[in-house]
Amino acid sequence: MEGKEKKLPDLFPKETTRRGFLRGTAVAAGSAVAMVTVGGLAAKAAHAQAAAPAPQKDLMKYLFAERENCTGCRACEYACSVYHTGVVRPSVSRIHVLKYKDSIDVPVVCWHCNDAPCVAACPTTPKSIIPDPNHNGIILNEKTCLGRKCLKCQEACPAQFVWVNPDTGMPLMCDMCAGDPACVKACKDQSGNPQGPCLMTNKLGFGVNLAFRDVKPNEAGKDLLDLTFYPNVDGKRPTPAKTKKTRRS
Amino acid sequence: MTATKGGCFGKILEIDLSKQTYKTREVPDEIYQKAIGGNGLAAYFLTTEYKAHKDPLAEDAFIYIGPGPLNGTFCVSTRTSFAHMSPYTGLISHAETGAHFGNEIKWAGWDGIYIKGRSKKPVWLSIVDDKVEFKDATKLWSKDTEETHEAIIKGMNDPYARTAVIGPAGENQVPFSCVIVERFRAAARSGTGMLMGNKKLKGLAVRGSKGVPVVDNVKFMEMATYAKKLAVEKEAWQGIKRWGTAGLMEQNNFFTGSLITKNYQTTWYPDVVKIGAEEANRKFWKRHVACNHCPIHCLKLGVIREGKYKGLIAEGPEYESGGLLGSNLGMTNFNDMIALIEACDAYGIDNISTGGVLGFTTELVEKGVLKPADLDGLKPKWGDGDTYMELIRKIVYKEGKAGKLLSKGVKKMSAEIGKGSEAYAVHVKGKELAAHDARGDKARAYSYALGSCGGDHHEGASTRALVIFAMINSLSTCSFASALIWGGENAKITVGMLNPLCGWNMTEDDYWTTGKRILTMERVFNVREGISRKDDILPVRMRTEKLPAGPKKGAIFTEEDTKKMQDEFYSFVGWDAKGIPTDATLKAYGLEYSIDDIARARKEYNL
Repeated sequence: MEGKEKKLPDLFPKETTRRGFLRGTAVAAGSAVAMVTVGGLAAKAAHAQAAAPAPQKDLMKYLFAERENCTGCRACEYACSVYHTGVVRPSVSRIHVLKYKDSIDVPVVCWHCNDAPCVAACPTTPKSIIPDPNHNGIILNEKTCLGRKCLKCQEACPAQFVWVNPDTGMPLMCDMCAGDPACVKACKDQSGNPQGPCLMTNKLGFGVNLAFRDVKPNEAGKDLLDLTFYPNVDGKRPTPAKTKKTRRS
Repeated sequence: MTATKGGCFGKILEIDLSKQTYKTREVPDEIYQKAIGGNGLAAYFLTTEYKAHKDPLAEDAFIYIGPGPLNGTFCVSTRTSFAHMSPYTGLISHAETGAHFGNEIKWAGWDGIYIKGRSKKPVWLSIVDDKVEFKDATKLWSKDTEETHEAIIKGMNDPYARTAVIGPAGENQVPFSCVIVERFRAAARSGTGMLMGNKKLKGLAVRGSKGVPVVDNVKFMEMATYAKKLAVEKEAWQGIKRWGTAGLMEQNNFFTGSLITKNYQTTWYPDVVKIGAEEANRKFWKRHVACNHCPIHCLKLGVIREGKYKGLIAEGPEYESGGLLGSNLGMTNFNDMIALIEACDAYGIDNISTGGVLGFTTELVEKGVLKPADLDGLKPKWGDGDTYMELIRKIVYKEGKAGKLLSKGVKKMSAEIGKGSEAYAVHVKGKELAAHDARGDKARAYSYALGSCGGDHHEGASTRALVIFAMINSLSTCSFASALIWGGENAKITVGMLNPLCGWNMTEDDYWTTGKRILTMERVFNVREGISRKDDILPVRMRTEKLPAGPKKGAIFTEEDTKKMQDEFYSFVGWDAKGIPTDATLKAYGLEYSIDDIARARKEYNL
């Protein structure tokens, strides 16, 4: 119970916006004990702020991909590799775009799940990957990471997000570009006519991202293909066999 | 001989299909400075390695698949050039395609792929960085492009690999068959499919993990970012983003007066509203798809939602495919038109030439020159999608009388049929024209008549644009996202990107010289095959028949227009009045090795 409550402050901005206000009431309705806990934490945080610099409030904490908006231009891959290595090189880009049956583009992103299975799977002590408290980006410690010998994080990621750097063998973790993701900016820059951007930050979609992350890119592609091309208008969708037949006739 | 510093790796993957071996061919920096890459580099190989009158289907004939220095870098929307001597026209030929295939070649660490030889049994090539494998394609032979693509991706065991494949048309040696890249994009118009089929090469799949080296990254990114900004913001191109090139169908019918209709008889086709962009938007389109790093996403995917083709996912209509297989065939049923387009993609055959051949055949039947008996009892008439579908199948498999006749292309068909059919045969240098009628849109004549491939809409619609397009086909970038958007800044932006990328000292003058050099190299190749001023003309129909209706009613491409266009272009690139590069020009461009070739051709063809 307490663990669950602790995560709440991560989800919403801390100013007294309408959302912040709603959060307050929700917590109050939840339980008085929780109220005290949160209050206590806030007091502790306030105390800690005196020593350490305060986490910046406008930093991003989550990535969200509106898959239906993706055109497959890979500007996100370009921006990601340029941010991290200086040149365009999709093989070291953290984010990537899967072409599913060449009809659907699936952006494969790190959803920055709160329970972070990759971090949980990391066998080293201390952990070689940790979420940065400021912006939720996963920070990799190349000195302690076992690299290609281990890759437990790659196995653990339900979204099949983690790739391996072909030069160093280190897992490629989304570090959120220190709170201002380059992929999101690149996506926004060239979207808008007529579709909105695919990548967003902090648009949580009511936790949908946590459901999305359990879908493998291939499955997402299949779903999206059916959703895009065969919406269930007449209760039926053509079977692949039938599609093939019409193509040749 | 110096090694390349950036932009290029200085090595080309040379594949010999006869011996099933591969090796690295080193290319020095000087050659890249001279010919850039892609189409330009292919022109250099073709003029230096081929003697005149080479058999385009000889065992040692090559296909050069060339990205350019800008591929794989931050530059917006880069493309790939498939260049070789065309088995269709017998001239130099290059076909450009978008998608991610070219970039993947660069990321695999190659500047291009040079394929020669002929395999004994069908193969497909798997190229993963430095590793090349020859895989058995016996089971893939006779499969359509979609199935082949899926099978190769499966064979690569890597969903992120990129493919280029041929369909049954290429296998059956149809001279206007094409290569289908990543299922929906075509490198068409040159007969590349036929050449690959001849080499028993069913397809290629590429996957790379490297990065392209950059000499001065800060300066390069500055210019590349500026160039991208233009592609994002320029107002004139917002329509392409929304409507794709299909939007041009309505525009060219109602305003420009250049939408070809019923084998170029007119440019007025009010039924365009039934097959154009608006109709596609209403009942077909579902998605926008972009090439790499491109904000324009001109490719539209959709699904047919009713009728007998229900459930078919297809791409288009684009302006050319919708023009040639839509208005050119008098189609009024949108779904039938899309099915024709998708059938061409699945068979791996060029939309434009197929549309040209079908339109020509229909007019001949209408005029009584061809009888149904000549076409296996089929009687094509305008708008008859089912007959056209059957004819396309016959062309692909060269089946029956109709298939054998139609698969020859318009030029050879009219020569064989005679009976005045030459007057309706619309082709330049043996290749069918695209969907812009040069009477309504006179600037297109530059591209059709003066472009090195003949009948090609993608070679620049003015004297200067011909040079610019020679450059962008070599770089190789997209005309929408780069050349046309950069406009007057083409030289500045290209040089501004190439210098910091490759460590060169090109000036804006060098840009123009390089473009002219590439055009001249291509011209040298064509002159050796007998091309001169007399061939740089539009088809008879556009020079003798006035447009009967539409916004450009009465327009015609006159002899004066032709003369003005030729004179202006020849003097700009430094060719003589017969359209032959002079010795002084060849020396100025550093092409001394071609002087003898030209002298020989002058003697041979009495020029």
